[in-house]
Amino acid sequence: MPVTLDQSEEVCVLRLEGEVDIACAAEMKQLLLQALGSGKELRLDVERATELDVTALQLLWATDREARGSGRGFTLAGRVPGEISVAILDAGFEKFPVGVAPK
Amino acid sequence: MSEERTIDKFKQTFLEEAREILVELESALLALNENRGDNELVGRAFRALHTIKGSGAMFGFDELAAFTHNLENAFDEVRNGRLQVSSELINLSLAALDHIKAMLDEAGGCGEADSAVSAEILVKLRQLTGKAEVHPADAVTSPPLAPPAIAVGAARDWQIRFSPGADLMRTGTNPLLLLRELKQLGSLQIKASMAAIPPIGELDPERCYISWDMVLTTSVAREAISDVFIFVADSCELTIELAAGPAIEQTARRTIEATAAAPKAKSPPWGRRASDTPDNATSIRVPAAKLDQFVNLVGELVTVQARLVEVAARREDADVAAVSEEVERLTTALRESSISIRMLPIRATFERFRRLVHDLARDLHKEVELTIEGADTELDKSVIDQLNDPLMHLIRNSMDHGIEPSEARLAAGKRPSATIHLSARHSGASVLISVADDGGGINAEAVRERAVEKGLVAADAQLTEAEIFALILAPGFSTARQITDVSGRGVGMDVVRRSVETLRGSIDIASKPGSGTTVTLRLPLTLAIIDGLLVRVGRAYFVLPLATTLECIELTRQDIEQANGKHVANVRGEIIPYIRLREYFNMPIEQLEREQIMVAETEDGHYGFVVDEVLGDHQTVIKNLGRFYRHVELISGATILGNGSVALILDPQRLVRDAIRAISLATRSLGKHADVRVAARPRAQGVAAPSVAAGTMACP
Repeated sequence: MPVTLDQSEEVCVLRLEGEVDIACAAEMKQLLLQALGSGKELRLDVERATELDVTALQLLWATDREARGSGRGFTLAGRVPGEISVAILDAGFEKFPVGVAPK
Repeated sequence: MSEERTIDKFKQTFLEEAREILVELESALLALNENRGDNELVGRAFRALHTIKGSGAMFGFDELAAFTHNLENAFDEVRNGRLQVSSELINLSLAALDHIKAMLDEAGGCGEADSAVSAEILVKLRQLTGKAEVHPADAVTSPPLAPPAIAVGAARDWQIRFSPGADLMRTGTNPLLLLRELKQLGSLQIKASMAAIPPIGELDPERCYISWDMVLTTSVAREAISDVFIFVADSCELTIELAAGPAIEQTARRTIEATAAAPKAKSPPWGRRASDTPDNATSIRVPAAKLDQFVNLVGELVTVQARLVEVAARREDADVAAVSEEVERLTTALRESSISIRMLPIRATFERFRRLVHDLARDLHKEVELTIEGADTELDKSVIDQLNDPLMHLIRNSMDHGIEPSEARLAAGKRPSATIHLSARHSGASVLISVADDGGGINAEAVRERAVEKGLVAADAQLTEAEIFALILAPGFSTARQITDVSGRGVGMDVVRRSVETLRGSIDIASKPGSGTTVTLRLPLTLAIIDGLLVRVGRAYFVLPLATTLECIELTRQDIEQANGKHVANVRGEIIPYIRLREYFNMPIEQLEREQIMVAETEDGHYGFVVDEVLGDHQTVIKNLGRFYRHVELISGATILGNGSVALILDPQRLVRDAIRAISLATRSLGKHADVRVAARPRAQGVAAPSVAAGTMACP
């Protein structure tokens, strides 16, 4: 499963693994809505992701905007793999959609 | 499921467009063969290959992409001046092109691509490119190459806005791959705009909301940039503009490019798609079957409208009459516009023959140049679809038999290189398509001898040159052995004749010994709906095409008596022979006080057709008579009238030809001194006549 949501008492961690593309976009949206609705801190883990496509990037971007709007954080848990950083820069993003600038 | 279907649909689009690109590639390769130093052509070939490769990979045709990649590499070598354009390269590229075509067919579910062919081509390609590297001296002996065409000089800045449409992602397209491909063309500054991303609750997860603003600094031409987006052009908004204030040191070509780009800058950049070419921006792609269905429906509408007119006339109700008139006006407009949609320029069909001429010239060891004129002439799609075969046979004939070997041409004081001229032009409601060569011409005497030998004409028959040439088209003649080297036309002529007849066209052959032959096909503009004049003969209805009808005059008993039984009328001093349809179709003779002569223009001059009554003009939806009546030449189809009865559509040209033929055959069989009456009762002379009983068909 490329997209999973781990919830502890205070944090929701969205974990993306392998190729995250349009095939899992609908599911990812549901999990993000669930995370936003939980009222907890949001974390994103992409350490084991190999590819994020446009649908994933825009979902992350929209979640980040929503989370900041409600005064909560959406931050990276762990590092962003090099190939993902490069791909995101190539796609014309100035920074990773979630808080931290790519290395 | 529906997603899969959408992807399939896009694969289909790719296959179709790839075939179009192959046509472009073929024409570039053939032109390059003529003009080997032209780097613009090298660029065209390279771009075509590049697009097929890139898009093929995008849609999962990996094998196709890999194969094309090798060929693309070869042309990259050419672009960079490391490989020379040679006959070997062109022929190999053409073979590769055929193989790509086979691979596309295979992907489309018909045919199979032979992997052995693929391997053979790749090995040869490697030898070719390898040889170029091993022997750089080869390059020195040939004229030096100008800088590659695709790199037209200094780099310029292109401003590109790319905004994927709602469906782009669902079709399996990944916009990031497009951007990556764009990046390979030069240096790319890119900025994604997230402005359109809605709140996550309203966000459709399978839609791309991101758009991109880019500046590409590159020396490639505009087409190369738009080629990157070629397969998504219909599902995205795209603008490509030269950035303001680029370095100005321009060749004429670049100035043209810049001006071509200028109007686009004025048009609203957003909200409307301004794509790579003006054509793309204003046209849509529609499957041919849908178009056929549309025209069929319009045809049905025209038929129903005829019924409405009939009903309105019976009712004598002003309201109904007004509506009926309005509907008639709209139907006419709709009919005209639906026909115009089906009109296509004949260019693609003509251009396809460049390859045939190239290949045949190589096989026959002749030098032949193909020239094309009037390629923009428009014809109904269904006519164009059926033109390929007859034209191919005519060109083959010209190359095989018409055009002499170079030595013979030189000996005859001609240029060693022969010309085949393909041309198209409008003439009234017809289109004239001709294939002319400057070869040896037809040896009329030899054709005549052969015809006598085959029993087609009597040994002492007096034939005009046109009649002799027409013998070539006679069924059976085509299977004849070749008469002489110069005049053996006949192979495939039967196919030409039959195809042209199916299209309700006619063939004219002109030839001069020593200076060449011209075969002209006269074809109707459309096969679907025509303007006709509805006439009545007895209880049967007929339609004569309005386009060929000149006027309608009265024929009284007195006129007939004055002509001493000869079927001629005096129209303002002009003697016009006529055919009485009543007699022609063996219908019961009635002594009418007044009849009508419809005067029609035919290739053999003005002829009249005598009918009982002219009922008026009629929008005629042509229906085929069906297989059973296929051999009936004089009737080009049938149509359904407002009252539900059937009217047969007459072909005046064929009627006249048939009448003349009947008379001349009868004359020959009767001997030279027979009393020849123009257009007089062909049936009475015992000549086989149309076996359709017009009266019974028309009044079922």
